[in-house]
Amino acid sequence: MSEQTQRIRLVVSWLLVTVLLGYGVIQTLITAAKLFG
Amino acid sequence: MSVLSALDRRHTVAPAGFNRWLIPPAALSVHLCIGQAYATSVYKNSLIAHFDVSQTAIGIIFSIAIVMLGLSAAVGGTWVETNGPRKAMFVSACFWGAGFLVGALGIATQQLWLLYLGYGFLGGIGLGIGYISPVSTLIKWFPDRPGLATGLAIMGFGGGALIASPLSRQLLSYYDSGYDPSVSTSIADGHALVLLFVTLGLAYFAIMMFGVANIRVPAQEWRPDGFDPATVAAKPLVTTASVSAANAIRTRSFWLLWIVLFCNVTAGIGILEQASPMIQDFFRDGTASAVGVSAAAGFVGVLSLFNMGGRFVWSSASDLIGRKRIYLIYLGLGMVLYALLASVGDSATWLFVVFAGVIISFYGGGFATAPAYLRDLFGTYQVGAIHGRLLTAWSAAGVAGPLIVNGFLDAQGEPGKLTASAYQPALFTMVGVLAVGFIANLLVRPVPERYHEASAPAQPTAEAQPTAEAQPTAEAQPTAEGEPTGAPNTSKEATA
Repeated sequence: MSEQTQRIRLVVSWLLVTVLLGYGVIQTLITAAKLFG
Repeated sequence: MSVLSALDRRHTVAPAGFNRWLIPPAALSVHLCIGQAYATSVYKNSLIAHFDVSQTAIGIIFSIAIVMLGLSAAVGGTWVETNGPRKAMFVSACFWGAGFLVGALGIATQQLWLLYLGYGFLGGIGLGIGYISPVSTLIKWFPDRPGLATGLAIMGFGGGALIASPLSRQLLSYYDSGYDPSVSTSIADGHALVLLFVTLGLAYFAIMMFGVANIRVPAQEWRPDGFDPATVAAKPLVTTASVSAANAIRTRSFWLLWIVLFCNVTAGIGILEQASPMIQDFFRDGTASAVGVSAAAGFVGVLSLFNMGGRFVWSSASDLIGRKRIYLIYLGLGMVLYALLASVGDSATWLFVVFAGVIISFYGGGFATAPAYLRDLFGTYQVGAIHGRLLTAWSAAGVAGPLIVNGFLDAQGEPGKLTASAYQPALFTMVGVLAVGFIANLLVRPVPERYHEASAPAQPTAEAQPTAEAQPTAEAQPTAEGEPTGAPNTSKEATA
């Protein structure tokens, strides 16, 4: 695996995880805000 | 090379210069998917209406899945260790994806037993294999920070529910225009449920395959730059020896750790299982509560975030503090917080939320730190298989925790009429449960040499099965994991 391929895999992998987790956390924060609303 | 042989451990050895930071997202892509298991309550009411059956009949689906999780992790741990993470993750993706598709067939044909077989049985196997599949690989890639590595992955299991809950609601709303995602009692039709299951099954399979493609095991002699194994071995309780899974369960320390995990999970479930009604009851004046249903759902969401965050933060901190010490904090400070929750928790909502949140962060931390604790005690040789056996404590606590809490609450009165004082017996019982775990953790000692492998074993491969270990004398008789991270829902999905 070339260094460039590895770098692309690294960026795509963490991007996928960040998007998935970010979606979950934001949606949960919206719900959680009702506790203090 | 056939497609299937590409899954073998020997074809997944990383080349020189491989970046180890590719491994955590590969592990996360599995855990973020299987964490859906704790978001099943989103469509529970719709399934009840579709099949026209009782809550229990639908609740059994989740129970089968959790039992299969424990069984497959315990029984399949050695297979996972021998065949490597890629094959294990592939098998997990197949079972998990197929579970949804068979479940969809069951919904479409009104055959409930197909839902049991699909999501419960097949999906449960996918859960158990998937949960343990990346753990030992992460520990081998991060010998300098095993707590951080396993914390990242197991945080994903908590995060999975956070993703699946809102996603399922939005998909149901997309497939059934009559379904209102903002109303927890809204019912989706059978067609929407079928499409939801098919969508989730295919999407999860694809995301998990991303992890399958990226996972690698380190070469036998690989070490991170600047890492000296001697510095790790110099810490208390940390061994450089190798202990097989068969020998590990013959040691006193394994069963003490089993008790520690059992107590920590039992106590955490005490709050998680009752989160929504509990906060309403704590601030009830007569028949009305100062905390509404919507705010209670928000509280479940807050707990979910603490649960997920605790897995990463506390497990990473254990690399600095030490595994035994951090469990003393989870259990010791947990006892204090439980006592405070029972005695002064009803004085202010924010105080109640802080106490409960920190307790749940310890609960999540307990899950995430366990693999690193096992690595310290038993070495990396078969740590995944040992972890699988330890997870039976989760299954047992998933039964014991709700039984304790519900048993006490049933004796205190009817749901909807309870107040803070009704929770005191249950909460103080949890203080006692945590005290047992605290003592068990204090008694954990290094594993005696007679349980160590005679020489450093090579990486297990499917071609060369681990040799049978010498049978040491029994040191201690075996005494005996819902993990929810809840999603922002008011029901039991938060019990994981």
